[in-house]
This record gives sequence, C-alpha cells and structure tokens, in this order.
Amino acid sequence: MEFGVCSDKSKAFIRLDPRSKLLLLMAISIIMIGGTTVGIEGVLRIICAAIPFLLLLSIRQYKAATIYLLLLGTALFCEKQVAPYTHGMCNIILMMICGLITRFVAGYMMGWYTVKSTSVSEFITAMEHMHCPSFISIPISVMFRYFPTLSEEYKSINDAKRMRELGHPLKQPLTYVEYILVPLMMSTVRIADELSAASLSKGLSAGEKRTHICEIGIGSIDIVAIIGSITMFVLFLVY
Amino acid sequence: MIEFKNVSYSYNVVDADGNAVDKGGVSNINLTIADGEFVVLTGGSGCGKTTITRMINGLIPQYYKGTMDGTVELDGKDISETPIYEIAKHVGSVFQNPRSQFFNVNTTDEIAFASENQRRVPLEIKSSIRETASSMSIERLLNRNIFELSGGEKQIIACAGINVLSPDIVVLDEPSSNLDFYAIERLKEILQDWKAQGKTIIVAEHRLFFLRELADRLLIMQNGEIIHELNKERISTISSAETEKLGIRPLRLDDLQTDFQHREQSDITITLENFCFSYSDGEHGIDIPELEVPSNSVIAVIGHNGAGKSTLVRNICGLEKKFKGVMRYGKKTLKNKERLHNCYMIMQDVNHQLFTESVKDEAVLSITDASLSEEEKEKKALDILSQLDLYEYADIHPMALSGGQKQRVAIASGLASEKGVMIFDEPTSGLDLSHMKQVSDELIKLRKLGKTVFVVTHDLELILSCCDRVVHLEKGAVMENYDICESNILKLKAFFGKEAM
Amino acid sequence: MEKKFEIKDLITVGVFSALYFVVMFAVACFGFIPIFMVFTPFLCPLVAGIPLMLYFSKIKHFGMITITGTLIGIIMFVIGHPYPILLFCIGAGLLTEVILKMGNYQSIKHCVAGSAVFSLWFLGMVIAFFFSFREAYFASIVDGYGQEYVEAMKSYTPTWVFFAMIIMCLVGGAIGGLLGAKVLKKHFRKAGMA
Repeated sequence: MEFGVCSDKSKAFIRLDPRSKLLLLMAISIIMIGGTTVGIEGVLRIICAAIPFLLLLSIRQYKAATIYLLLLGTALFCEKQVAPYTHGMCNIILMMICGLITRFVAGYMMGWYTVKSTSVSEFITAMEHMHCPSFISIPISVMFRYFPTLSEEYKSINDAKRMRELGHPLKQPLTYVEYILVPLMMSTVRIADELSAASLSKGLSAGEKRTHICEIGIGSIDIVAIIGSITMFVLFLVY
Repeated sequence: MIEFKNVSYSYNVVDADGNAVDKGGVSNINLTIADGEFVVLTGGSGCGKTTITRMINGLIPQYYKGTMDGTVELDGKDISETPIYEIAKHVGSVFQNPRSQFFNVNTTDEIAFASENQRRVPLEIKSSIRETASSMSIERLLNRNIFELSGGEKQIIACAGINVLSPDIVVLDEPSSNLDFYAIERLKEILQDWKAQGKTIIVAEHRLFFLRELADRLLIMQNGEIIHELNKERISTISSAETEKLGIRPLRLDDLQTDFQHREQSDITITLENFCFSYSDGEHGIDIPELEVPSNSVIAVIGHNGAGKSTLVRNICGLEKKFKGVMRYGKKTLKNKERLHNCYMIMQDVNHQLFTESVKDEAVLSITDASLSEEEKEKKALDILSQLDLYEYADIHPMALSGGQKQRVAIASGLASEKGVMIFDEPTSGLDLSHMKQVSDELIKLRKLGKTVFVVTHDLELILSCCDRVVHLEKGAVMENYDICESNILKLKAFFGKEAM
Repeated sequence: MEKKFEIKDLITVGVFSALYFVVMFAVACFGFIPIFMVFTPFLCPLVAGIPLMLYFSKIKHFGMITITGTLIGIIMFVIGHPYPILLFCIGAGLLTEVILKMGNYQSIKHCVAGSAVFSLWFLGMVIAFFFSFREAYFASIVDGYGQEYVEAMKSYTPTWVFFAMIIMCLVGGAIGGLLGAKVLKKHFRKAGMA
C-alpha cells in the first residue's frame, strides 16, 4: 500500500480534489453496505458502483477497472443466475460470497483509486485545508515517509538473516518473528530520533502553521462530485 | 558571528542498568566564528565535533537533553533562548545519514520543506526551486521519489533545500560519509558556491581532502576540547605524513605512501562465471562473463555509483534467488545456495545483522557445526571474541556497543560460521583515522586466517593500506582487474580523480 | 492535553504507527493461507503487540495512542474499508489511552491491558459483515427467497462469531503485550534503548 509519490498531471483525464474523493468514499461505503436493491436505493447503488469504475478509467488504471468489472459482473451473475440452481450449504456460501462482493468491492476500488491518484503532499495539504490539526497531519506525513523506509530496512534484515541461515518461519515461528522484529524496532527508535533532529533543524514546529507548495483546489468536477454525493446522501436517508 | 563563551556540555543518557549517566560532550570551548568564515572541525569519533554543530543549530540544548554551562550566541542572541524554528531561519543543516534526514517522500517537497516551515509564499518558493534547480543543474532530480536516489543525490537534495531557504550559516555534520568520489566533487562545488556567496560554513568531517582548498580554519578536537588549530596556509601545505601524526585523515591524497611488502600471491584462484544479472528497473545490473581473482587475498571492488558493485557482492553472497552464475573456488563449483553457505557479508549498516542479546550469543549462533557440544561452541565463540578484542564485551548487548565494535561483532560471527569468503560493504564510511586503520588491520588479519576478502569501498586510504587486488567495475562490466603494485598505483590513483594524482 | 505535543512526540507517533500498521498488515497477508484466516484476529494483535509495547514505553503524555488510533482509522477508511472503522479505531485508541494513563504510562500490567484493548479496533473491519451488512443483505433477499430461507441462512452465520472475535483480539493483544514486555527486557533495556 502506498500513495503516489509524484503527481503526474498529464496522466489523468479527471483530477479530483482529495476532499471530494473522501466524500465520495464516504457516500459509497454507506450506500453500498446498507440499503436494498430496489427502488431509488437500487438506482443509487448502480451509480455508486459505476463511480469507481469511471474514475479508475480516468487515471488509466485499465487493469484494475477490468478486474473490478469482472468481479462485480461474475458476482451479480452468480447471484441471479447460478444461485437459484444450488441448494443447502453450497447455496448459502455462494450467496454470502456474492453478497460480500457486490456490497464491499466498490468501496475497496474507490480506495484503490484514491490511493493511486493522490500524492502524499496533496493528501496532507487537503487535510490541512480541512483544518486538520498538526498533531494529526505531521504523524500522517511521517507514516507515509516511514513505510518505504520500513521496506528497505526489512530487506536488509532479511538478507542478513538468510546469510546466517537463521530462523524458519514455520519450524521456529517465534524466533523468526524475533529476528525480524527486534532489528526493525531498533531501527525505528534510531530513525525516530534522527528524523526528529533533522525536522527540527529544518524549522518544523508543532505549533506554527506552514505553507504548502502543493496546489489543490475545488474545480468544476469537484463541485459536481460534492453536490452528487450530498444528493445521494439525502436521497438515501429520505427513502 | 557565532560565539562560544566557555561552553561545556554533557549528554544525559541512560545506561544498561537504567541509571542516568553523563556522557561525552565538550568542555571549556571558547570559539568565535566570523561571518563568511569556513571552519572545519575534525578529530576521532566522540571528540565533540558533532556536539559543536548541534549547538549552532540549536538542537543542543533544546532537543538533546544534557547539562550545559556557558553560552552560545548567534549574532548576539543566546541560542538556548531562541526557539529552534527561529534559528532554522538563519542556520541550515546537513546531516550524516541521508536516509533519516528527510521528512518527505517527494524530492521537490523536501527541497521546499524548510521554506514552507518558515511560512514563505508558495509561489516564491516555487520560483526559488526553479532557480536552484537550474543553477545546480538538478532538474532531473525534481519531483522524484527520494527512495530511488543514491546517497549522493540525497545529499544534493538536502543542499538544494538550503539553497532555497538561503540561510546565512550552514552546518554540515559528516556530509561525505556515505558519498563516492563523484558525489564528493559535487558537494565540494556546492560548498564553493556557498563560500562565494559569503555564507558562514561549519563542517564536521573525518575525510578532509575535499576541504583543503576551501577551509579557512581547521580545528582538531580530542575529548571535547580543541587541541590544535590550523590556519589557511598550513592547511594548504600540510603533508599526509604530518596529518597522520596529528591523528587525522589526510588533507591531500597525492602524497599517500604505501608499502608493498605484505602482499604475496596465493596460487588458488576464485573464478566467477556467468555473473550476469539485471533488476527489473534495468539499473545497477552486472554483466561479467568471467572474473578471476586470487583467493586468500583482500580484493577491493571500486567503481562509481551505479556501476553494479553492490549487485556483484550480493550475487557473490548468493542473495539473489534467480541468479544463474557460479563461483569456482579451487576445485569446488558453488551455486547460489552453496555460496550463501560459504560467503558472509558485513553490511554497511551492521545494525541489521545483529540479532541476539549478547555478543557471545551472536558468535555462538553462527557456529553451525552440529558435532560440537554447547560448551565447546561457547569456548570457540570466546576464542574468536578474544581474537577481535571483544572478550570483555562477551555479555553485553551488541546494540549497546559503538559502531566500530558492532562491526567487529559482525566479523566475529562471520569467523564463527567458518565461511571462506568475507565481504565488506563500505566498512570505513564515516570512520576516523584510527578506526579506519583498525578496519585495515582486521582485513589483514582475516587474510592471515586464510579468508578471501572482498571490500566494496570508496576509500583510497583503506585500499592503499590493506588491499592486494583491485577490481574496477563500470556500468556493470569489469573495466580493470589488477594487483596493487608499484606499476599499477597510478592507474588506481587516477580513478580517485585529480586530487589523488 | 496536559502539555502541547513536541515534534519528537509526533514523529514517534508517526514511525511507530507505521511499524504497527505494517506488522498488522504483514500478518494479515499471512492469513490468506486459509487455515490461518480464522485466526487473524488472534495472530495479528499477537505479533503487532510486540512493537506496540515498545511504543508504549516511549509515550510521555496523553493523546499519542488516540492519534495512532485515528491515523489507522483514516488510512483504513481511505483504502476503502467501511466507515465504522473510523469509530472503532478512535474508540480503541481513547480507551487504551485511559488504561495507560491509569498506570501512569509506567506500569507493565497496564501496558499489557492496553495492548489487548487497542487491538479491538480490528473489529471495525469486520463489524459491517456481521451487523449492518447482514441485516441489510437479508432484508434485500427476503422478498425473493422468503422468510424461512433467510432464517436458515442466519443460523449459518451466527453473531457469536463476532463475539468470539472480540475474545480472540483481547487474548491475542494480551499475549502480544506479554511477549513485547519480554522483548523489551531482553533487548531494549540491555541495549540502553528503552
């Protein structure tokens, strides 16, 4: 799991503000999980299922979009056409799996889109625009910065472990975990210390506001997305 | 102007038994650094030079907790009473470890970071980034993932951030530790620019040769005190023999001496065959159909960044799973798995390869000989530890040791595993003269024990003091492969640039 | 908050939350092997409890764990988990904070209890499968299949599984906390790092 590092504007057909993405995520996760499949709610579900698909296309994530379409299509087909011909346990498992897919996959795909289309700095800037306090925004930037570091550290620890032919994951699970976690934890303590020193000396301070070179803004598509999400909320709650 | 008035400082740390103790620091420092001056601080590890840099950027006393006497003033203002983010406006800092000094993942964000913290207008920051990028010609480094850059490029990004913020004072704490010769050249150019702009520059360093033409003053420290001061004229003329007497790394590389006595050839050779490997991103690959080196010798692997040095040694170790090449060692032919069994690498960051709770256990863990009883294993481990002067630390946790000691623990566990090939990845990066010599002695000792040692290094002094053979890689291929002897010494020095000639 | 957060605290929160999250994630991936799937609510907190204990030992004042909870919630939500995850993460964070506070951020017992309680955020991921989803799902198929069918189906997916998961989380988190305390004593105290 990682956010895009560099925002490449030329690649996307539609650019949404991270704030609209969050609102859409919220709308999709509420409408898809709750609600029935008939009437207005049924229409809303179709719209919510279509949004991630279109957005994935807009950032040229064709593979993800195809997988999503196939998954959703298969699940719907099984639910409507295959399930009625099965019986007992088999039927119940099939229904459950199809139900899970049709209700949850749209949310995960919207998440995938959000992660793929947003750079860390866009996300942080958006958070600060939403008046998110620095005690949330600073740790979250640090987290995203620390994920790749963790993977680098893990790789070297794993190399060292292999070189010494230590710890098999299944034969000695506890030793295996210890030999990976302890050096990783040691690195974390050390890096936290060095990173704090470096950030302080670059003038980062918990109390002061900072500016951002990253540009985000609500455009016309965002307004459509925001009005759309709110309308869907309202319709969903009223009916 | 920076003024140290009778400053003493000691760090408050907690020892292994949970008691608070005072450690290291500096005592009775009186020092005045004028505007626009270029001052270099040097001396053995723990001599207090880093402490001085931390007092200039305010990390001491505001971040590192300790006991401080006396005052440090920056243009008349007491550092301990100025908030760090205020100091950060005037003092830019570059740190030793490029991996942990970044707050952002994206290079452009990182360059802008310090200026953003000072709440400068975004448009203004952006235009200074553009200016900086073109003046330093680093356009290709903008808007990239920092984790894809080399150590040298990371250090350049740190310097670019300082250019954008444009403070009057810059402190650098061992900026060259992780850099190769090219990158050091770049760093030197940047320092030259800053000096020309009239910035006050303070560098704490072990490697000094690239500072010879820049430094106005060189301060040598020991046990927290300034024991020698060299002026500009002395800096430009001092010979390697004299710097060695002062206990510091040389200021010039062209007059380095070496003796060729200890080098004698072994007739068994190690041959690497079909060492071809490429990564999915197409970079750092190697293409070596055949490479022959003498066994039981110390082999330096040199080459510029991205030449494939790490890839080569990783494959010698057998760490890349799909690799097809083989190593012929005398009559044996070793494939990937068997090489993993016969080679041992001491990594650049030894912290990653120490796993147990005591130095002794670390050695015992590597003894794979199943025929030995626990007592025999322990005895053997202690023997090895005493060979490496680690006997007294047998029951200490490896992580409580100093950097050099940790490295020796890693060597000890390599010896305990009885593997024939030992590989060192940049063993002397960031080491002072005495520790560099210690590493060189250890490499010679390993050779006497019959090991074949590969050393990936950018350190000419280390190569001259202990290596027998040089393998020079460039763009993944072997460019040169020669013995170190009188006739080849010029070829070797040529690689290290005009400084060394 | 008794005291304003310092940069050091916020960075500690960031790196340890990342470490905790990654360990959780790694163990959960291991859970794709079917036999282990059932035990993920037990195994994940068990392994992740080890770094969590180190994190607890670094905490100096109120609020840091709640931030960690919030961060995990935000990330889980952004990658597409249904919204209850946010409430569970923040709630578990607050509860843990209170427990740690009672032990003055020193007591090992309280830390172990904290590790157990913190792992309850895990349930935020599955609760939608059991409650809101289940009810809505059954409501949506009741027309087509009839009440009897739905009753039969309900009996196959009992809610007690959810309560079993609560227990697995608590026990896993507590064992993880104990292991963590052992690791701290074995390695970090000796190395002078905790």
